[in-house]
Amino acid sequence: MQTTNSDSQRPMLRVENLTHRVSLETDTLTILKAVSLEINRGESVAIVGRSGSGKTTLLGLLAGLDTPTEGTVELDGAIISRLSEDERAQLRAHRVGFVFQSFQLLPALTALENVMLPLELAGMEAPEKRARELLERVGLGERLTHTPRQLSGGEQQRVAIARAFASDPAILFADEPTGNLDNRTGQEISDLLMALNQEQGTTLVMVTHDEQLAARCSRQFHIEAGELTEPVAQVELAH
Amino acid sequence: MAAAKKLMSVRRDWRERDVRVVLAALIIAVATVATIALFASQLQRTLVSSASSFLAADRQLEAENGRPVPEPWITEAMDRGLETGRMVEFSTMVFGSDAFQLVSVKAVSNEYPLRGELEIQGPSEGSRVQVQNGPAPGEVWINPRLLRLLDIQVGDTLEVGSRKLTVSGLVLREPDGGFSLSALAPRVMMHVDDVASTGVLQEGSRVKYVYLFAGEEASLECYYQWLQPQLEPSHEWEGVRDGETFSRSLDRAESFLLLGGSLAVLLAAVAVAVASRQYALSQRDTVALLKTLGLGSSGIGRLYLKRLGLWGVTGMVGGLLVALPLFWILTRLLSEALERPVPFQLDSAALTPALLTAVVSLFAFAYPPIRRLRNVPAMRVLRSQPGETGREALPDMLIAIVAVFGLVWLYAGEVSLVISLLGGLALLLGALGVLGWVLVATLRKVRGGGHAWRLALVGLYRHRRASLSQIAVFAMTLMLATTLILVRTSLLDDWQAQLPDDAPNHFLINIAPDAVDEVAAYWEERGQPLDQLYPMVRGRFTELNGQPVKEVVSKDQRVGALNRELNLTWMPSLPADNVIVEGSWFEEGQTDGVSVEADLAAALDLALGDELTFTIGSDKVNATVTSIRTVQWDSMKPNFYMAFPPGGALTNMPATWITSFHLPRDRKSELNEFSRRFPTVSLLEIDNIIERIQEIVRQVTQAIEAILVLILAAALVVMAAVVSATLQDRQREGALLRTLGGRQSLLVRSTMLEFALLGGFAGILGVAAAEAAVWALQFRMFEGAFSWHWQVVLPIPIISAVVLSLFGRWQLRPVLSVSPMLLLRRLE
Ligand SMILES: Nc1ncnc2c1ncn2[C@@H]1O[C@H](COP(=O)(O)OP(=O)(O)OP(=O)(O)O)[C@@H](O)[C@H]1O
Ligand SMILES: [Mg+2]
Repeated sequence: MQTTNSDSQRPMLRVENLTHRVSLETDTLTILKAVSLEINRGESVAIVGRSGSGKTTLLGLLAGLDTPTEGTVELDGAIISRLSEDERAQLRAHRVGFVFQSFQLLPALTALENVMLPLELAGMEAPEKRARELLERVGLGERLTHTPRQLSGGEQQRVAIARAFASDPAILFADEPTGNLDNRTGQEISDLLMALNQEQGTTLVMVTHDEQLAARCSRQFHIEAGELTEPVAQVELAH
Repeated sequence: MAAAKKLMSVRRDWRERDVRVVLAALIIAVATVATIALFASQLQRTLVSSASSFLAADRQLEAENGRPVPEPWITEAMDRGLETGRMVEFSTMVFGSDAFQLVSVKAVSNEYPLRGELEIQGPSEGSRVQVQNGPAPGEVWINPRLLRLLDIQVGDTLEVGSRKLTVSGLVLREPDGGFSLSALAPRVMMHVDDVASTGVLQEGSRVKYVYLFAGEEASLECYYQWLQPQLEPSHEWEGVRDGETFSRSLDRAESFLLLGGSLAVLLAAVAVAVASRQYALSQRDTVALLKTLGLGSSGIGRLYLKRLGLWGVTGMVGGLLVALPLFWILTRLLSEALERPVPFQLDSAALTPALLTAVVSLFAFAYPPIRRLRNVPAMRVLRSQPGETGREALPDMLIAIVAVFGLVWLYAGEVSLVISLLGGLALLLGALGVLGWVLVATLRKVRGGGHAWRLALVGLYRHRRASLSQIAVFAMTLMLATTLILVRTSLLDDWQAQLPDDAPNHFLINIAPDAVDEVAAYWEERGQPLDQLYPMVRGRFTELNGQPVKEVVSKDQRVGALNRELNLTWMPSLPADNVIVEGSWFEEGQTDGVSVEADLAAALDLALGDELTFTIGSDKVNATVTSIRTVQWDSMKPNFYMAFPPGGALTNMPATWITSFHLPRDRKSELNEFSRRFPTVSLLEIDNIIERIQEIVRQVTQAIEAILVLILAAALVVMAAVVSATLQDRQREGALLRTLGGRQSLLVRSTMLEFALLGGFAGILGVAAAEAAVWALQFRMFEGAFSWHWQVVLPIPIISAVVLSLFGRWQLRPVLSVSPMLLLRRLE
């Protein structure tokens, strides 16, 4: 077993020979072919590639939202395909955070309640206090009681980011977090995401079309037609 | 446009869940309303003809003055296209081989009976046959009891006066089997042309001439208008519905069927409303897209209108396809119960309300939200717009409610029904408002966590708007279904209480005062004790507050009761099944006053304190109205319009006594011995009538149960519509909760609990509202015949909670099986 980083630490995420196929009416479509990769704790990684290349599929598999046809995904020491549905949920509740392109806030809940939701699901103490703090941190301290409908896209994404960090996850997955936003707002959201990531020491795995944002990550994986192409350049954390 | 058309094609439509719910709701609505209406009209026709057959005609004219009516009256009826027939009734002695017996003769013309059948046993010792004619001239048919009393056989001769007639059959059941108390002694039926030759009838004999009429309702009515001014006090015109036992049971059954149909209309409207609103919401993206592609509002309006039209047609055709076989089955059941063929008759007028239901619920409920689709901004394609607030829909809802209640009114023709149901609903919505407020105020404080309970409460809060509208719809559905169940239970209990197996089935009339004790002891010894004995004095109601009644009471107020002698009585205590509605019953020792039956009092506008004068023979008796009471006409016991206190004005009038008692069918032969011992006591056998009423009650019960099943199906569709309305949200939410780390079991338990809470709340509200509606209904439609049924009502919230939580679990399947990947794929 090769550990790239310092001695005792296992990688945060290790993928071996990941292949994913879906069966269509006539034949089967191979979306991912023999993908192997490792992501270390505290790293920030961008997955880039053309539309339809399989980025979202890969992210879903890495996060354990789906199970692969072949190969293994080891997330924080646990082999995802060996976990039951509930164990995966448990893992997500405590170790994983998400940010989606389309925000995915519950429209019936206020900003505060949306952020409290994962805390409540994980059964954490004082969820309201923690949620308030995070919303203050993302600059929405004044908008606690507003529902998603009353918030702009950028504001909704801030709430989503606050929610993602709420349960103090070890790893954060983001699928095109700035994809639905204008450049400036996208920029602000990127800044916020990177800053929080730094503060919390979270591992970040992000799919993005935004080259600037990709460049701010410590590593980039290029994916093309379901295969990792570029040998991954090992860049030490720049900052 | 071709692509747009494809997008709007019916096939595609059918794949939409909401459309399926709309169509199912429409089909069930049309089917229920059509089945009920068809069956009600069938039942009406059948029962009225059964009831008609109690007169052996549609109308009877009786002359009690011992003289035939003028011949022109009859020719006039014939000229007006009415069927006519004639009967002469009198009592006389007949002689058998060497015994004689007082009998009640009915001499009938060839046309008898105009309605119904006569059941006889022919000479060949054979089975019962039903015939539509009386005996031929020269022959008689007799009551089987006479065989023993006179010791004769079928085929022997019988002397009636100076005429010998051949006994050619036994009368088992007459269509006009005597519901009037003047029917006497065992029956001998002969031909009317033989009467003169018997020489029995002399000037001044006690004889009743009866004329039968049948034909179109309108012609009968016209004829009566013509005849009425010429009638004398001794003439009595009788229709089917004059306070007959039968029509009362029938009225209630009809009211129930109407109620069932109305509830079906309401439920269907609710289902259509919920499903089509949901459909309209889900169509907004499509509409926005079509607009960006260049389709104008009017084009969109047309597209959706056409589609509504298609739904309407589908609903009507589908509904009728379900209704007709159902109706056919019910008709067969009816025919089995009545043991005679009932023609399968489609009353097209009965179909109108069903079709109207489809049209009204589509246009009152489905159209408004769909119409608003035209206003969806094209901008929606680019940026999701805020959804509809309930406020825009409010005026539509009001219009729709008015429309639907209008429909119910049109359908049931009962304002009280509409008001009771509306009142119940208003109460329900009021309670719901309070509940909503409490829900929001308390649930806000609940902070969910890993516990299913807390999550369920948070869930209710999270969907507070949907939760409240779901509770509203469930509660409404439960209210309507519960109302029906309550009414059904009351109705059946009521009937069963009225006609228990040991209900009196024989009347003894004309018991001389000094024979009362002996007669009572006679049946007491034989284990069949008599019911309460009542004295009976025959008298005419002639003056009201000193004015002749016929002047005071306007013509259209006149009721049969004024045209004939009333049976007056005195009684020491109020019979158990009578209820005082005004005034009070006689005090101990009180000897003045009279208690009047409520319907008669209402028809004649009698009030407490009115002074009534009765003419009894040549005497006049005055009494002040001291109470008004309802009477259970169908109790098969003696009932009286006018009751006096003991020792009151009637005491010295010539009275005979009347009572009823139960005698099992297999002991009927004992009546012979009784008749021999008490030859002057008249015996009235009503067991055949009771049997038929029981058959019909059984039949109506079956119909009611079938209708209840339809209503419950409608209720289920409503529930499916409502729950599916939030399904998409729940799917997305379920995926999100699982992505955020919620366990499946937690999701299942909390959803089931959430639905159980919904069901429980809705159940409690619905039951309370139903009780209120039933309470209001019992006064008007069902004449106070209701009792409370907590044992029926209590389980309903519990059942509703359990059923809904299972339903929630079932609805959750797609939520649990949907992959959390959904969120990444942005399927919304
Ligand atoms: N369940 C599925 N059934 C069929 N095809 C699928 C399924 N899931 C993914 N695909 C296909 O796999 C390919 C990769 O999809 P994926 O969503 O991962 O691409 P992506 O790189 O995220 O693209 P984008 O940048 O546009 O979001 C696409 O061609 C997609 O159509
Ligand atoms: Mg993607």
